[in-house]
Order: sequence, then structure tokens, then C-alpha cells
Amino acid sequence: MDRLIAGMIFTAVLGMAAILLLIGFTEAPQNAAGVAHGEIPAMLIGGDGAARLADIGGLAFVFNCLLLLFTVLLCTLSVSPDKRTPVFFGWMTAVFVTNLIVWQQMYFGHLAFLASGETGWFLGFPAATAWQVYGVWFAGVILIAVYSGGFRSYILSESDERRFERLLREARTDAEPDFSGERISESRR
Amino acid sequence: MEAFRQEIILGVIVLYMALCVAIGLWSMGRTRSAGDFFIAGRGLGPIVVSLALFASTLSGFGFVGGPGLVYSVGVSSFWMVVISATAFGLGFFLVAKRIRMIAELRGCMSIPDVIAARYGSELARGLVALTIVLGVLGYLATQILAMSVVMQSILAGTERFADTSLFSCVLLSSAVLVFYCVTGGVIASVYTDVLQGLVMMVAGILILIAAMQAFDGGLREAGEIVLADDSESMMPFGAAGIITSLGWFFVFGIGLAGQPHIVTKMMMNRNLADNRSILPLSLLGYMVSAFLWISIGLVMRAVVVGGSAEPLALPDDAAATFLAMFASPLLAGIVFAALFAAIMSTSDAFLNIGTAAVIHDIPRALRGRPVRNELFWARVVTVVLAVVAAGFALFSYYRDATLVALLGAFGWSTFAASLFPVLAIGLNWKRATTAGTVAAVVSALAINFTVQLAGVTLPWGISGGLAAFVTSLVLFFAVSYATPPPKLARDIDRMMEI
Repeated sequence: MDRLIAGMIFTAVLGMAAILLLIGFTEAPQNAAGVAHGEIPAMLIGGDGAARLADIGGLAFVFNCLLLLFTVLLCTLSVSPDKRTPVFFGWMTAVFVTNLIVWQQMYFGHLAFLASGETGWFLGFPAATAWQVYGVWFAGVILIAVYSGGFRSYILSESDERRFERLLREARTDAEPDFSGERISESRR
Repeated sequence: MEAFRQEIILGVIVLYMALCVAIGLWSMGRTRSAGDFFIAGRGLGPIVVSLALFASTLSGFGFVGGPGLVYSVGVSSFWMVVISATAFGLGFFLVAKRIRMIAELRGCMSIPDVIAARYGSELARGLVALTIVLGVLGYLATQILAMSVVMQSILAGTERFADTSLFSCVLLSSAVLVFYCVTGGVIASVYTDVLQGLVMMVAGILILIAAMQAFDGGLREAGEIVLADDSESMMPFGAAGIITSLGWFFVFGIGLAGQPHIVTKMMMNRNLADNRSILPLSLLGYMVSAFLWISIGLVMRAVVVGGSAEPLALPDDAAATFLAMFASPLLAGIVFAALFAAIMSTSDAFLNIGTAAVIHDIPRALRGRPVRNELFWARVVTVVLAVVAAGFALFSYYRDATLVALLGAFGWSTFAASLFPVLAIGLNWKRATTAGTVAAVVSALAINFTVQLAGVTLPWGISGGLAAFVTSLVLFFAVSYATPPPKLARDIDRMMEI
């Protein structure tokens, strides 16, 4: 299973690298990363938002989808195989889907604003920005809830603590750390 | 009260620094070994670790550079903050349990120790130690300089100390930092972090309230003013654009698990199970403190584009100008104390890991054994590192900023790019090899150095840090797959099964 997850992570990384290269080779408008404010020094403005997204908006959208997938896959890799229960995969899927929804609302909300020039407001911010400010935080909090709430189920069970105590006792009886090595076990290769 | 504004601010800062010194003295009696000096003997409770962890994460950049970035590029810089929940979560999933286990299993006192134990490679240890030393010098120099410049500006407003030189400010601020780090090692560092974290949280809440009262319509009115001036600045990707924003999301979100000054704290808790409560407590502290970053920057941009204030000479003046316009002297004093707290909590963490790299890791990598009397030499090297960093800071200020800027490139993004794959992924993926580790670290350093030295500007706002991070990840996996599977030590292999 670890081999599959690691392979998926590597694929996501390659995907992000390829997208970055594609974006890098796309001709950038003058305001791609902001231009100087006409009247105020040391301040940038974004200018024409639609022009900035016209050629690379889709690529950037996919880049962040891969980044969110990368994050969830890394969390999954960190959990030992015997704890990756269907419920755990359900939680990871929930984290991923919530992040995707937040990202989709933010990105397409911004596109809608660019098309119409109008936006609703939520707790002090334009709708798309509110998805960023509150939504991204909220999606991360779910990940933390899984870690803290599911600590004994997914991270460190009481039997894990006993296994580690046993490992410590055995290590302390050895005079030297064992660097002689052995082939890694199949399960986590 | 306004008539004594500078004196009140100065008084709060002096009180704060006196408390830091007192904590240093208190910690001295508790530091009896190198293990106590570097990782507090792995004996800290969850609340202490939580506050220390978030206080180390939020440096002076969060209090000065952060609001300055919002002023300068609008909402783009929010990405560095809003990603914190995912960043902390990912960091704990990947690192917290295994680094604490490996630290106890092998008696590790530093990140290079962990790397050497995981990969069984002194080369990997040496490379990581070198990266940390270079990063520490750059980071410390910029932090000491920032602290001294702020101190000088505060003193300039008083009658008695108006002519205090920057050199004196560097001397004074470094002296306090060095005093508690030398006397109490990391024990003093984490307990001052507790004080510093609490000060930052109080400041974050009070500033948010002050910012919401700056306009009759609260933050929404500020947002509407910014939106009317330039809509992109108030929308999710800000003035700096989507690629810059996602780059910050990547480097700051994923990269937290590669920051040595942060993950070292994950080795210090008394019980493994404490991680369950440390994570949410750390995040809570960070989120509350980060209110300051977002609210000051947004209000100052609105005030300036709305014509209520003159444009700032430098974006980094945003916080100081906000305090002058909207904060009572006491609140300003608390925020300035919080700024010093943010700078010092990050600096002491770096001083500690830098010292460990110099006296503990590099000798082991080169000679295969540690120096004798590590505790004594740890104290000596702490002073030396601080003096060298303070020297860099002064050199940078008076002569040439290039050197510190170059070392400053070894900031967050270089640590993220070079250490995240090696540490965060390597602790969870047995197939990772030493060759993959070397490729990741060397490529990250090379790209960051090249971008900085050659002044390369990548298109679309792609940062050197993002390019380095993605490249090092690709190479880490590709080279690991291309080289034979590693032979793990039996105890490490079993630890990674848990």
C-alpha cells in the first residue's frame, strides 16, 4: 500500500512540476505579478484580473487541486498501514473534498466577480475572499480534528505505545545502535 | 497618557525584557546536561510545547513584514496565514510522532542527529547541519537588525535616549537574547516562548478590536475602499496574482514541516500522546496572533488609498504607523513587546539549533564523535553565533546588505525545500535513500543560491523558493527510486512500522 501511495505522491509532484513549467513558458501579461500603483509608492495593484487568468487560470486551478491531493496523500502515508481503515480513508476523502469545494468556490467566485463586477460580502470580505479567509482555515481544522479526535485510532494507539516501550527496552540492552541493517519490510517499501 | 507615549511603550518593553532575563536565571539551575540545553531533556508539558511551537513559528516577519505585505500586495499575503491550519496539521501527521520516537530511541538532540539515525549517513547529517548553520546566521542577523531598528525608533521618541546609536541597540537586544539562551539553553528559550506566546496572543486580539474600530463600517468598509481602488487587491489572489499566491500556499503550508526551529520543538514533549492536545493549542495561538498580520495591513492599505493618511515610505512601516494612528500608548507598548517577543522567540530557537549543529553535529559528521563537555561548548558557541550574527547585522546596515540578503535567502523557503523531503517524507517512507536526500538538499541550496546571487526573476511571480521546493521533491523521489532500496537499522525499521 505504501508503494502505491508513494507512487501517487510522486505522480502529483511530477504533475505540479510539469504545470509550473508550462506556466513558466506561457507569455505573461505585464500585470501577471502586479504592477506599481499609479499614485502610491511601494504599493502594487493587480489591474486586469481577467487578463491574468486568461492563459494560465486553468493550469493554476489544476496545480492547486494536485497540491491539495498531495497534502492528503502525505497524511495518509504517515499513518501506519494497519490503521488505514475505511473510516480513516473516509475522513481523508472528506478533508480532500472540503478543500476542493473551498478552492472551487473561491476560484469560480472570483471568475464570476471578474465577469459581473459584483460581489456579495461575508464577515468583512468579498465572497470569494471570504472562502479563502474562512474556508481554507476551516478545511485545515478538519484535518486537525481527525488528528486529535482520532489520535488513538489513527496516530498512536495504546498498543503502539506498548510496542514502542518494548522497542526502547530492547534498544537500551544493545550496547551499540544497530546500523548493520536489514532489507526493508515489504509493507512500507 | 499620550504625553508619555514613548515612555510608556519603553516601560512595557523594559518590563518584558526583565522577565526574559528572570526566566533565564530561573532556568540556569535546571540545565545540567547537553540534553537539557538542546531539547529540554524531553520533559516539557503540552501547554509549554504548544506555546513554544507557535511562538517560534511567528517571527518578527509576522508583525512587521506581514502587515507590510498586505499593505503592499493586498490579499495575496493572506495565503501565508490561512494555510496555517493545514500546515500545522500536516506537520503533526508527518513529523511529530516519529521525530519524538526517534529522539528517544537514539538519544537525538538535533535534526541532523535524526537525519543521521534515519539514513545511517554522516554525509546526510553534515549537509543538513551545514544548511542549518548558514540559515541560522542569516535568520539571526535579520532578526537582530529588525529588533535593533525598532528599538532605536522607539528610543528616538524619548528625550533622554534620543541619540542612542544602532550599535548600542544591537548590543542591548543581543545581550538580553544571549543571556537567557546561554544561562538556560532551550529550557529558558521555551519558557520565554511561553511568555512571548501569551504576549503575542493578547496583542493579536487587541489589535483586531482596534482595527475593526478604525472605520465606522469595520473591516468591510476597509475592504470596500481597497476594492474600489483596485479590485484584484481585495480578491483571493491579491495584487501579486494567482501563481505568487499559490507559491506562498505551497511553501508556507507544506514547508512548515521542514522548519528546523519548529520541528525541534516536537522532540521536547514529555509524552508521545501529548501531541494530541499540542496540535490544536498551537494552532489556536497562531491564529489569534495572526489577526494582527491581516487586520493591520488591510486597514493601513485602506487608510492610504482612501486618502486618510500619507503613503508609507516603506511597506514595513505599516504596523508602526497603525499603532501611532489607532492604538493607545499601552496597547502600542504591548504590541511592541509582542514584536520583540516574536523576534526573540524565533531567534532563540535558531540560536539553539545553530549551536547544536556547530558543536554537536558537524564534529560528528567530520570526526565521527562529539566534542567533550558539550554543555560548556554549547554556551560558548551560543555567544559566538550571536556575536557573528550581530556583526553581520551591523555590516549589513552600515556597509553592504548583500551578505545578509544572501544568507537571508536561507530562510523559510530554503529550509522547506531542503529539509521537508528529507525529514518529513523520509520519516514516513522507507524507500527514501541517502542519495535522494543529498540530491534534494543540494538542489534546494543551489537553486535558492542561484536565484539570489543572479537576481533571477521568474515569470508569473514564481518564486525561487517554489521552484527549489518542487525540484527538490522531484529529485528526492526520482533519485530514491533510481538507487537501490536502503538497508535500515532494525530499530528504525521497527519504529517506522508504528
